[in-house]
Amino acid sequence: MNISHSLKRTGTILSFLLPSFIGFIIFVLLPMIMAFGLSFTNYSGGPNFRFIGMKNYVVAFTNPEFLKYLWVTFKFMTVTVVFQIGLGLVFALILARDFRGCSFFRGALYLPNILSSVAVGLAFMFIFEPTSGFMNQFLISVGLPTSKWLASSKSALSVIITIAIWQNFGYYMVLFIGGLQNISQTLYEAAGIDGANKWKQFVHVTLPGLSPMLFYGITIAVIRGFQVFDYIYIMTGGQQGGGPAGSTNVLAFDIYLNAFTYFRFGYASAESVVLMIIILAMTFLQSHGQKKWVSYDII
Amino acid sequence: MTSYRRKQRIEKILRYVVLAIVTFITLFPLVIVLSSSFKNESELFDFPFKFIPAKPITDNFTRLKENFPLYIWNSVKLTFVIVIVQLFTAATGAYVFTKLHWKGRDFIFGLYIASMMIPMQAVMIPQFLIIRSINLYDTHMSLVLLGAFTAFGTFLIKQFFMSIPDTYCEAARIDGAKEWTIFSTLMLPMSKAVLVTQIIFSFRYFWNDFFTPLIYITTPQLKTLPLGMTDFVREQYVYWGPQMAAALISIVPVLVIFLFGQKYFVQGVASSGIKG
Repeated sequence: MNISHSLKRTGTILSFLLPSFIGFIIFVLLPMIMAFGLSFTNYSGGPNFRFIGMKNYVVAFTNPEFLKYLWVTFKFMTVTVVFQIGLGLVFALILARDFRGCSFFRGALYLPNILSSVAVGLAFMFIFEPTSGFMNQFLISVGLPTSKWLASSKSALSVIITIAIWQNFGYYMVLFIGGLQNISQTLYEAAGIDGANKWKQFVHVTLPGLSPMLFYGITIAVIRGFQVFDYIYIMTGGQQGGGPAGSTNVLAFDIYLNAFTYFRFGYASAESVVLMIIILAMTFLQSHGQKKWVSYDII
Repeated sequence: MTSYRRKQRIEKILRYVVLAIVTFITLFPLVIVLSSSFKNESELFDFPFKFIPAKPITDNFTRLKENFPLYIWNSVKLTFVIVIVQLFTAATGAYVFTKLHWKGRDFIFGLYIASMMIPMQAVMIPQFLIIRSINLYDTHMSLVLLGAFTAFGTFLIKQFFMSIPDTYCEAARIDGAKEWTIFSTLMLPMSKAVLVTQIIFSFRYFWNDFFTPLIYITTPQLKTLPLGMTDFVREQYVYWGPQMAAALISIVPVLVIFLFGQKYFVQGVASSGIKG
């Protein structure tokens, strides 16, 4: 009786757990382990492949091209994180309190975030069309020099960074508005009674109160920044691409190229392990560093 | 006092001016897409930009009629199926991690959460090899399977289930209700708000998803809308008009859902930031 009861109980638990757990095992956990394994082989899709030790990693880190892709990825990540978090914070501060029209402005600034990266990419390719696109005509009309935008190795990355910021700062704004609204109003009143001016209130109440959300937002932005792919593929990529003179070739794009255009699964796996380690290390560093500036007890 | 009032007034005006400018910059690209969809080739690059085309045309849309109805249908079908599957796996997962007690529960949930940090690029090659080895490459089934597990959705619904007191479930158990009955007749009806949030988030994700179909779909008849839209990019000559029309088609459904369900979007973003 007891055994059949506990068996039934286990069955019930499994019936709830397995729908998500099977997917997790087969498409997340197992692939992660496999990626490590593959990165030590020269697998290219066929039946003949062998263990080659650290060679893929050595090849990657001695290849100036790979180091350049890493650099481009870091550049993209850093600039987008700074501007997305910065603009998100500024507009959250402006829009956190209720006033006439506030929900319209919140909605409008968040709107780009819900659109597909393909639609956004196509729209901006049109706007930044290198000869007679809107942006160039606008620059001519105000007497400024034009640019080849996405078609020039000097400007392609900057254009894509701008578009990424345009599409995503609203997300962080909404995140921070939620955080700001959680800060108790009594803290401001108390600070006001103590004679703190607006700036002091911002530094001693707003920032500490928002810090958990800021930390979360920065973590997310860093992870997403490292993984940028869609814009690169659509606006400067195509099947062979990577932008003019490879100027927009980020790590995620190179992994895609090596895996699905050249079928260098082993090498691409090694690259993907490098990407994963970088992201995990950054996340670890941040959660380590947060103790210095994030306070969870103020709210 | 009056100078303080005046200062406040100026501040208020300044705030509206800044917001108006930024809102304009934010929405202008969408206006360009909308208006260009109805312009003919010769008018597309006219400057200054005219919002209302001199001669509005629908040719850009009719030129899509060969492939796009199928792409749209594929996207609708797949998004629908994946949203349902995700809702099921996320809700059952949320239930087993909140209302049932078993050994290893917190550990496994910890793994789910940790998996949110794993970049998709780190698992995509083995995923591809697994899908290929079970002969599902270039099928819609591959996209459904890859989309079935959602750490974010499980987390989102779990957060909500945690706010429902256990005493509800206990009372039902004493009355002899089975767990699946409690789950479907008690928990789910009480959680409508979060379920809608989850539906909206997975809808948006799969309606917009480009990367997974790019890897797994090669047959033109199986393409989804975002993948089909890049047909234009690979051609030598860019047909800007139809391209803008296609972008518009893909934007409209998400836009409509956003207009009616803005608060669910906000809830989803906000609750993803709550430490759990």
